[in-house]
Amino acid sequence: MAIREGLFIGTCIFLAVLIELTLLSRLGIPGATPDIVVVIVVAIAFATGPLQGATAGFAAGILLDLSPSSDTLVGVNAIIYLIIGFAAGFWLDPRDRRLPVMIGIAALSTAAAAFGTAIVDTVLGGERVNWAEVPWITLSAALYGALLSVLIIPLIARLARPLLTEMSVS
Amino acid sequence: MLSRRARIILSILVVASLTFVILDLRGGDGPFSSARAAVGSILGGIQRGAATIVSPITGAGEWWSTQVGQSGQIRELTAENERLNSALVSAENDIARANQLDALLKVAGVGRYRVIPAEVIAVGPAQDFAWTVAIDAGSLDGLEDDMTVINGDGLIGRVLKVFDSTATVVLIVDPESSVGGRVAGSQEIGIVSGTGRQNSLEFQLLDPLGQVASGDAVVTFGSKGGRPYAPGLPIGEVVDVTGTAGELSRVATVKPFVDVSELSVVGVVVKPPREDPRDSVLPNAPSAIPTPAPTPTPSSSQEKETAATPAPSDG
Repeated sequence: MAIREGLFIGTCIFLAVLIELTLLSRLGIPGATPDIVVVIVVAIAFATGPLQGATAGFAAGILLDLSPSSDTLVGVNAIIYLIIGFAAGFWLDPRDRRLPVMIGIAALSTAAAAFGTAIVDTVLGGERVNWAEVPWITLSAALYGALLSVLIIPLIARLARPLLTEMSVS
Repeated sequence: MLSRRARIILSILVVASLTFVILDLRGGDGPFSSARAAVGSILGGIQRGAATIVSPITGAGEWWSTQVGQSGQIRELTAENERLNSALVSAENDIARANQLDALLKVAGVGRYRVIPAEVIAVGPAQDFAWTVAIDAGSLDGLEDDMTVINGDGLIGRVLKVFDSTATVVLIVDPESSVGGRVAGSQEIGIVSGTGRQNSLEFQLLDPLGQVASGDAVVTFGSKGGRPYAPGLPIGEVVDVTGTAGELSRVATVKPFVDVSELSVVGVVVKPPREDPRDSVLPNAPSAIPTPAPTPTPSSSQEKETAATPAPSDG
């Protein structure tokens, strides 16, 4: 992975985590917090590929797990976001890059992240997950994910374009 | 298909995150305390700056929702009006914060808690199913683990982890939180647990024959040495009681006094009062309470009364 690509992914992830924890989670929006981190991970996977998506997911998850505002086990978000980043990039057919398809995958990914957290936390013996709330959290996460991805997927694709052309030349 | 190199990188990442989970599951300080501390100081510092920028936005949420219906009028606003509006919002924001600090000082003064003021700078996402926030005070400000966190409305939670300049606070509504509570005006005690919903707590009475009714206020019972919970802090109001007297499981639903979705200025109790302030901190003390109504400067009769009741030693 080129250094510039790594820097680009790192900056995007860092900003996404910052926006999610200081702004989006404080707005008091009903249901899940709009998961801009997952949407950015998926957008990176779409723009650059499944391997980069998985790496971005891993980095984002570790950062979220270590953040002072959360009390999750280190590695839980990392493994979930890693799988999501990889799957999203792997799933997208390169010949079919229509925006609605990508938004659909992003919405499914945010839902999978919320549902996956509930499952992993319960399996690991956590007592926080209230399963009566899980369907609502998952659905609202998917809705907010779809709304966010309308803006973010084209934005990341645009920002990543110079990187990709540079890579194909070298 | 994937190249050999991609598969190797992927397997390394998967193994790494699984290893992290297993290591962190073992509990204790573990290998992550230094990593957490590093991320805590770096991210915390930036979040502190970011929180200053976004605080007018988060504070303006309520103002915004009331304005949506008048979109026709808003369209007519000139650029100057918009500028005035944003100035107004930030002024309102400042006033709101000053009021919150005022209320906090009042609670601290009446109950004689020594508090360190702090501000919430980041909130954990709802899909973590944990109710935790980060505040902008840490070990450099004198914070330690298991200190009580309050605001002008009452109990918020306790300090979970402390870093240099930030700390993690677990809120009372977190499903893993449980606080020793006492029904104001009586000796009925029980355990107040979080349910994961922001406007309801579960109050399990220890005495199945205990008297509790809707409208009763619940205050903290107080732990040994005031940690993790200092005594006498308002927790919430009983809104519903299930089960009749004598039944084994008598559970009351308590609505917390604090609105955990709108936390901004908070106070960390670094030193609990020498004597349990009993019910004097409650905002509008119910008539059933034997102690006189709270006054800004506690009268000598109240002092005598609080001194006469022995402070509970354990919570």
